Amino acid sequence: MKKTDYKDMWVYIEHDGQTAADVGLELLCEVRKLCDTTGDRLFAVILGNLPETETGKIINCGADGIIRVKGTGYGYFNTDAWSNAFTVLCRKYNPSAVFVGGTINGRDFAPRFAVQLNTGCTSDAMELGYDPETGDIRFIEPAVGGKIMAVITVPELRPQIATIRPGTFKYAPCGARGEISVIEEEISFDPGAVRCRRLDYFPDESDPELDIANADCIVCVGNGLKDQEHLERYRTLAKLLGGKIGCTRPLYERGILPYKLQIGQSGVMVKTKLYISFGVSGAVNHTAGVDADVFVAVDKNPDAQIFNFCDYGIVGDMDEICDEMIAQLRARKGQ
Amino acid sequence: MLNILVCVKQIPDIDLVRMDPETGNLVREGVPTLTNPLDLNALEAAVRVKERYGGHITLITMGPPMAESTLRECLAVGGDEAVLISGRPFGGADTLSTSYSIVKAAEMLGNFDLIFCGKESMDGATGQMASQLAERFNASQISCCSKIEEISGGKIRALRTLEKGTELVEADLPCLLTVEKDNFFGRLPNLEAYLASKKAEIRVLTENTIDGLEMEKIGVPGSGTIVPEIYAPKLPEPGQIIKTGSVKTDVGRLMSLLVEKGSV
Amino acid sequence: MASYNRITAEVAAQLRAAVGEGRFFLNEEVDPNYSHDEMPIYGKYMPDAAVDVESTEEVSAIMKICAANRIPVTCRGAGTGLVGGCVPLAGGLVLCTKRMNRILEYDMDNLVVRLQPGVLLKDLAADAQKHGLMYPPDPGEKTATVGGNISTNAGGMRAVKYGVTRDYVLALTVVLADGRIVELGKSVCKTSSGYSLLHLMIGSEGTLGIITEMTLKLIPSPQYDVSCLVPFRTVEACIKAVPKIKLAKLDPQSIEFMDADIVTSSAAFTGNPIFPERVKNEDVGASILVTFTGYDEEELDQKMIRLGEIAKEADALDVLVVSTAATKKSAWAARSGFLTAIEAETKLIDEMDVVVPVDRIPVFLIYIRMLGEENGIRIRNFGHAGDGNLHIYCCSNDLEEDDFKRRVKIIMDKAYTKCAELEGQVSGEHSIGHAKMQYLRESVGEDVFELMRQIKSVFDPDCILNPGKVCDLSLSGRPA
Repeated sequence: MKKTDYKDMWVYIEHDGQTAADVGLELLCEVRKLCDTTGDRLFAVILGNLPETETGKIINCGADGIIRVKGTGYGYFNTDAWSNAFTVLCRKYNPSAVFVGGTINGRDFAPRFAVQLNTGCTSDAMELGYDPETGDIRFIEPAVGGKIMAVITVPELRPQIATIRPGTFKYAPCGARGEISVIEEEISFDPGAVRCRRLDYFPDESDPELDIANADCIVCVGNGLKDQEHLERYRTLAKLLGGKIGCTRPLYERGILPYKLQIGQSGVMVKTKLYISFGVSGAVNHTAGVDADVFVAVDKNPDAQIFNFCDYGIVGDMDEICDEMIAQLRARKGQ
Repeated sequence: MLNILVCVKQIPDIDLVRMDPETGNLVREGVPTLTNPLDLNALEAAVRVKERYGGHITLITMGPPMAESTLRECLAVGGDEAVLISGRPFGGADTLSTSYSIVKAAEMLGNFDLIFCGKESMDGATGQMASQLAERFNASQISCCSKIEEISGGKIRALRTLEKGTELVEADLPCLLTVEKDNFFGRLPNLEAYLASKKAEIRVLTENTIDGLEMEKIGVPGSGTIVPEIYAPKLPEPGQIIKTGSVKTDVGRLMSLLVEKGSV
Repeated sequence: MASYNRITAEVAAQLRAAVGEGRFFLNEEVDPNYSHDEMPIYGKYMPDAAVDVESTEEVSAIMKICAANRIPVTCRGAGTGLVGGCVPLAGGLVLCTKRMNRILEYDMDNLVVRLQPGVLLKDLAADAQKHGLMYPPDPGEKTATVGGNISTNAGGMRAVKYGVTRDYVLALTVVLADGRIVELGKSVCKTSSGYSLLHLMIGSEGTLGIITEMTLKLIPSPQYDVSCLVPFRTVEACIKAVPKIKLAKLDPQSIEFMDADIVTSSAAFTGNPIFPERVKNEDVGASILVTFTGYDEEELDQKMIRLGEIAKEADALDVLVVSTAATKKSAWAARSGFLTAIEAETKLIDEMDVVVPVDRIPVFLIYIRMLGEENGIRIRNFGHAGDGNLHIYCCSNDLEEDDFKRRVKIIMDKAYTKCAELEGQVSGEHSIGHAKMQYLRESVGEDVFELMRQIKSVFDPDCILNPGKVCDLSLSGRPA
């Protein structure tokens, strides 16, 4: 195969039939910049019905074109129809790269059609680069628990496939391009051939305490926490600050807080005004998930990496400092 | 009786892996190994299926000879036989080529109704193996399964955990599943099984003994991705460390700063 | 009745001058947590002042000031006690050792370590491990200070094989009530040199002196360890197996007991169901966790095989193996979280830590459950089956505090009487504090109790060290 035969970059637009998920738009915005470097065109790929009104948003993110796939088999997400559609499309149009949002379903089907196409697939890149000599995208991601950054490339095969977590890149539309090409494709998948069928769906009851992505203030507790018993003061502090509590991966692994409160690349990406971490070491997988106006770090280890990410840091016993914050906040409120 | 395959991986304790600042290589010597925790949840799901419906569990892994200890650990918990794919040519593989090697080896072991995998490994953490194995096994796929409701008539009914809800699905066998860790907490092995696992025979398959293996599809040549470069994360300059002499005054100083910034 | 002076501005200034900047706290500057330990049910008492000491010399200077002014001094470590031992009943000064947290030196030839009292148990354990050594005493509360462990002669899980804190203390530096500094004991393995004031000091709960430096004995760290969880249908069957295991020369490091209730509480709290509630389709009534350590893996396998035979004879449901790093971590997290799990699900809590001869554990547990039912109090318990030390918690979520206390008093009175009948002791490892003084008096009898009081008056004639604790009646009349 010749790599130069493969042109254009695609972004898959995940949607629920009504609105496009944020992750697809975030990827469009970021891949637009990459395409500006490589000279590729940027296409959004939509499977099934998405209202026209949403197309405006997609175009506004700088897409050069839209590929709309119609046909049977797209009533609900299923790996079989989805991976088939991408395989058929890629064989027909030979894109250089396909970006898929790293949602549960995105991570489910993208590696699958990578096998069908016999090509390389990367996951969870945090940064995209380009090597003009080889024409390869450099997918840069934290590895080994965030101790190193690894550059991953797909040196010989095409398309280059990547799943990227929601919230990794910013939604910052650059505005519409002049001319938009719209391609309509009919790729039907026999619903009877779908091997994993949705019978029912039960939405979660929403619990505001578990919805931290856009909380005004987040008190994040890390592995420095001694045990469950010491957790209560951090809830108290969060409440006093009008914020919510979150945690790092080890705390979820220890069973102390639920997965939905895990902040970081493999959990929730948060955008907040004030972020205060207690006993968080500062692995990049975690800090990558934090977008804070003001970042405060508290840890007993003066060399902890977290202090590289903070605006203000205090070195000391996390419980003691939390208690003091509570006391002083109460005193202020009392005034 | 269901024929079940469980794919497991031995990983280094990543907390103890470090990068050699001189060479830029990862130092794994002397780092203890463990069984990838999420694989044990997958194994637990398989053992529960076996208890309920009857079945035979084959464990498979790819790795150096010492990966045997992971297979023994899994045998003790509920595996019936174990296979290790080992050999230098398999080294350096990404998920594209690893999934190929595992499926080629598994084809020699029979036809599987169910295949269980961990959601991802702690070290590589790509989360791609399950989907790629499912594709190569030509199997249906239920990722993030939180409960298996029923297996009958060549079908499996199960719940999947999604971001904002739960999906009830029905899939045709053969089916590959990954499971949620909270719903499949791994059990302890009993003593007899533990002692037996120490003496159990582990079948080793190499590049020479796997039928029909195409050498250009395994190891590095079969990989779609490479890692041309690793480096230590570039850290921003440290923030302002408040150090006034006592906790009380440190916190006091912080509070005034936060008030100034309008954060409090 | 003892009478004490308040801390005047002048005395405060002296105390402030005796320590460095920022380590003396007066009135509202004092951390409110200093008014209680982990059992606030026994009452909260704020001190007038607190001081974070950093050296023996500072402690000595403080004691001289307090002795001269008759200011009561209560020594405090991490505040993880369970009998109100570090609570300043008479107000005065709390002397906190948490900043004396340095491990001073290892003597690798004699396998001893010298350290300050504020070092946390978990930090000592981790640091010793780095030297290939182990500090055998292993109380459940890892965030306790080692000084506190010595003051209470803490026991812990490994007592079955290795003994208790007392067995590992070689020497102490102690500041007496009047500020004199004395050295008790020496870094030697044997001694036959007069009354052992060292052993009198161990377990004296800060009533005879303030420990400011310790020399402890360590052992080479065992290379292998493995645990077996043995579930039974009933508590009786479970406990009956314990003496059999002890007699089988398996030399377990610990034999821990857990009943179905505590396992359920713990699983709900930690989300970690490592200890099964059902085995082979039967409900588990109680389990023991037996831990073996050694220097040879094969030897441990043989011990487990023998344990398996005993378990079978004793009608155990199964024998489960905790051998991997991951399962050990889970089992450990669950076991050490028992108390926290109880606290988390309970508003009102009181406890006892009796020790009875091992064979009498079931009799006692059945009795205490009956008392709980009679009095409408939920009972939770777990403990060290291998040495007969039981941790029993009286819990309630819906009673008023006064009503709860009244009912618990009935239970405690009867339970301690029963304990005496069974030839047990008031406390296995949590000590007396002020909460258990009356029960100690009843248990040891007037003659022995009087001897204890006389010893106290020799060390502390003005009764300024931790007043109202262990055997000191000088505060009688105050609410306790």
